[in-house]
Amino acid sequence: MKSFIFWMAAGIMLLSTTYAQPKYEATETVLISGNCEMCKKAIETAGTVKHEASVDWNQETGAATLTYNPSKTNTDEILQRIALAGYDNAQYLAPDEAYASLPECCQYNREFKTNTPATHAHTPHHTSQAAATDHSTHQAATDVSQHEKEGQFQAIFNHYFNLKDALVKSDGTLAASSAARFLDALGAVKMDGLTSAEHETWMNGKESIMTVTERIAGTDDIARQRTHFASLSEQVYLLMKASGTAQPVYYQRCPMFNNSKGAHWLSLNQDIQNPYYGAQMLTCGNTVETVK
Amino acid sequence: MKRKILMTSLMLASYATIYAQKVVRYDLYVKDTIVNFSGKEKRAIAVNGQIPMPTLEFTEGDTAEIVLHNLLDENTALHWHGVQLPNKEDGVPFLTQMPTPPGAIHTYRFPVKQNGTYWYHSHAGMQEQIGMYGSLVFHKRKNDPTFREGIDDLPTVPVILSEWTDLKPENVQRMLASGSDWFGIKKNAVQSYVEAIDGGHFKTKVTNEWKRMEAMDVSDVYYEKFLINGQNQSQLPEFKPGSRVRLRVSNGGASSYFWLTYGGGKITVVANDGNDVVPVEVDRLIIGVSETYDIVVNIPAENTSYELLATAEDRSGSASLFLGDGVRQLQARLPKLNYFKGMKMMNGMMKMNGDMNDMGMDMSLQQMDMNTVMYPEVQAQPQAAGEHAGHSGHAMGANGPVTLNHAMLKAPHPTTLDSEAPVRELKFTLTGNMNRYVWSMDNRVLSEEDKIPVKKGEILRITLYNNSMMRHPMHLHGFDFRVINGQGAYAPLKNVLDMMPMETNIIEFEANTEGDWFFHCHILYHMMAGMNRVFAVGEYDNPLLHDKEMAYRMLQHESNMWHFMAQNDVATNGNDGMAMVQNARWGVGVEWAVGYNAMHGYEVETHVGRYIGRMQWLMPFVGFDYRYRKMGIDEHEKNMFGQVNKKDSRRQLSVGVLYTLPMLIDFQAEVYHDGIVRLQLMREDIPVTRRLRAGFMVNTDKEYMGELRYIITRNIGIRTHYDSDMGFGVGLSLNY
Repeated sequence: MKSFIFWMAAGIMLLSTTYAQPKYEATETVLISGNCEMCKKAIETAGTVKHEASVDWNQETGAATLTYNPSKTNTDEILQRIALAGYDNAQYLAPDEAYASLPECCQYNREFKTNTPATHAHTPHHTSQAAATDHSTHQAATDVSQHEKEGQFQAIFNHYFNLKDALVKSDGTLAASSAARFLDALGAVKMDGLTSAEHETWMNGKESIMTVTERIAGTDDIARQRTHFASLSEQVYLLMKASGTAQPVYYQRCPMFNNSKGAHWLSLNQDIQNPYYGAQMLTCGNTVETVK
Repeated sequence: MKRKILMTSLMLASYATIYAQKVVRYDLYVKDTIVNFSGKEKRAIAVNGQIPMPTLEFTEGDTAEIVLHNLLDENTALHWHGVQLPNKEDGVPFLTQMPTPPGAIHTYRFPVKQNGTYWYHSHAGMQEQIGMYGSLVFHKRKNDPTFREGIDDLPTVPVILSEWTDLKPENVQRMLASGSDWFGIKKNAVQSYVEAIDGGHFKTKVTNEWKRMEAMDVSDVYYEKFLINGQNQSQLPEFKPGSRVRLRVSNGGASSYFWLTYGGGKITVVANDGNDVVPVEVDRLIIGVSETYDIVVNIPAENTSYELLATAEDRSGSASLFLGDGVRQLQARLPKLNYFKGMKMMNGMMKMNGDMNDMGMDMSLQQMDMNTVMYPEVQAQPQAAGEHAGHSGHAMGANGPVTLNHAMLKAPHPTTLDSEAPVRELKFTLTGNMNRYVWSMDNRVLSEEDKIPVKKGEILRITLYNNSMMRHPMHLHGFDFRVINGQGAYAPLKNVLDMMPMETNIIEFEANTEGDWFFHCHILYHMMAGMNRVFAVGEYDNPLLHDKEMAYRMLQHESNMWHFMAQNDVATNGNDGMAMVQNARWGVGVEWAVGYNAMHGYEVETHVGRYIGRMQWLMPFVGFDYRYRKMGIDEHEKNMFGQVNKKDSRRQLSVGVLYTLPMLIDFQAEVYHDGIVRLQLMREDIPVTRRLRAGFMVNTDKEYMGELRYIITRNIGIRTHYDSDMGFGVGLSLNY
């Protein structure tokens, strides 16, 4: 009896494998948001996986026909992939980042998404920040004129900070042009306006400051610029110690730069914005001294 | 004196009336089961028929009584992670109890003295990897003075993260110890030469191999699936829009760190490792192996379900939990890691002798995440932000995601220790090497170390320094420790500390409970490789262990097991292969070559050697060679030193050394008992592409070999080689 059942089972299995050969496919129609020909391509590419699922999206109606092998996948998986590519559908909403990075013509009206106070708050978030930034830029500009009265080096310092910011952004071209302007400012320093301590530090450091700045201006290779910036920062720090500053300046250190020998920089901001690695390690480092 | 006793007993009595001591009992039936997480049916262990194990809930003041019924064919034991209890209830086989044998029943009973999120798991063998993990929740009493309105009264969900591999965990350990790069192939993290050249990283790759590093990843094992509460994707529709939910998240994974991100906005961290922290709002956090975090999230809109995404640190996969009812709002996926940037960083951080640059306290508390160089999403951020950020660097920082680190954790109440208690300073350097997968502390594995005696009541202040390339979640049994993180008296209490490569951190705790307490890396495969210590506090008489010394030897033995590996190549010109058994320090290997005719002959070399040093680049050995053949092709009787070598029939004893040179070339010098000297250079497994490996060998007997091997599956490859003895051949390469 037992062996009979075994042979039956074996027989059925054999049959089912033979007859499973013609691939069984399931089809389903769902709504997917989108606008144009480009959307169609993106939706279909995101949804389709070879031998598993294919998607045909109708631009007029927004209806997509999903054809898939139900032993391998399901509509959930397909629609999730499509949403992650930026396209809302009845099951899944695209992450905001994915939607925002769609080409402008594809930024459809998000009908599936329920708007919330939270998401509203999120959008003006950027604008308020931009406004704050404008404000600070404005302030920085007034500061420059103020500092010119206070000490000759203040202009130099501001150029230094511009250069530092360019390095934080890892923008070699911007760094080169900032360095060029820095160089002009260095040339314009008048010796007679200096105190004796300032004079001494300036005379000691002037030459190397100018050479290093020239080198930064002369390349847009960010790695080279950063190496020079390390020695420039040491000199500017000495100047700052000699002359004092109008507002607190933070002397900060990245312990990893230059094969972990470390390097310093100066910043108006207490928060770490590492100019030696930029975005790679933006917040790596610590403040070692506050110069006033 | 008498009055004092009276007072105390009065107080105790009143205490007992208010919080009538309640015994809460759970019965747990541990049984083999078959699961299908990946499309394949595999063996796992279920408790009361489920994976993860059931969530156990108690209220502070209860007595927990948990009865373990072992219905397996093997030993087991349960450990209560983070729980302060009598040592004999701690559940470490051979340390705090004998393992519970098949068919037996073991009762754990302890008073619940804490509140918060904990978890429990098997501490026997590798059962944790195959299902034996579960949430353990200790509720606050209603009138607890530390009760936080708006946090402790929120709806709460236990969330336990884990991962699934189709391979047996014992086999995973063996593959790691044998230097298999199969997991790298599966994860597309081989970091081969062709990939390096394509991406313009050739120099980085060469420097990396020059420094004798094999391609490394942020994690070691390939997992088929990642799970939240035992499911890859699931939904909890019961939460209403506008509400806040507290998730008690435990990482019950055996070796995976998880990034937590949320599709409904910010994450508020309110507790860590069972201890409340001052709430802190972040965009994402990483949860180390065996850590617990309590987080609070919002359900912002109607008809929407928001995704909590747990992404494995190596980005090889993720698991999702949707909160709320309606269309599912996805959270953006974390993109793939940029391995070569990480490699470049590592090159800069590692000295030629395999030491990391010690940065002292400059690197601690996860504030500098070395891995960020590999995160594409962090690098993409400032460019987008830069457009409207002008030259004010501040706005840029504000736009990047806020990531939790340990410096941001602050206890709500002072956690200072008894200032009268004697303080003992200890230092441990976390050591190890990826090439042989040996993990240790101060370059000593558990089997080489005795228990560390500690006086009861002593404060241990421990400095930990990670001198290895991997992160290690260091877990202490039986105590919470303070993490010195700049919060002064409000230093947070934890029981697991993630140690990133090169970090130095200081922890301290008062050793006021007697017993043998395990202190170990909670990555299962590091723990089983020997990265453990035991603090023996006071003179504890454990009724569950009749022979403590014998038991400790068993524990040591379990964390330094022998691993077997073998490879054999069946080719057109002959058959050659090798087999090896090895543990943390010793290796016994046999190599053979068998020709198909007398001219090719056959040859067997046997070596027994000991690996020396932390990086284990040096191995002195003794050997025995046996060879028979009829002179045929390649008739070199004299070697490069003019010594005559009767190749046709040799029986030779030898001594020698094996040393790993830069570029991972094995240099072998061997002297045979007849005075013949042989020097040899060999490199195998040069990663040409993801699946193609090259190798070569030359020696002073004027023998040479070059090979190419294409890896098809975990155990099968196609190999072609040219050998000075055997000539050209093509064949099938099998390995275990």
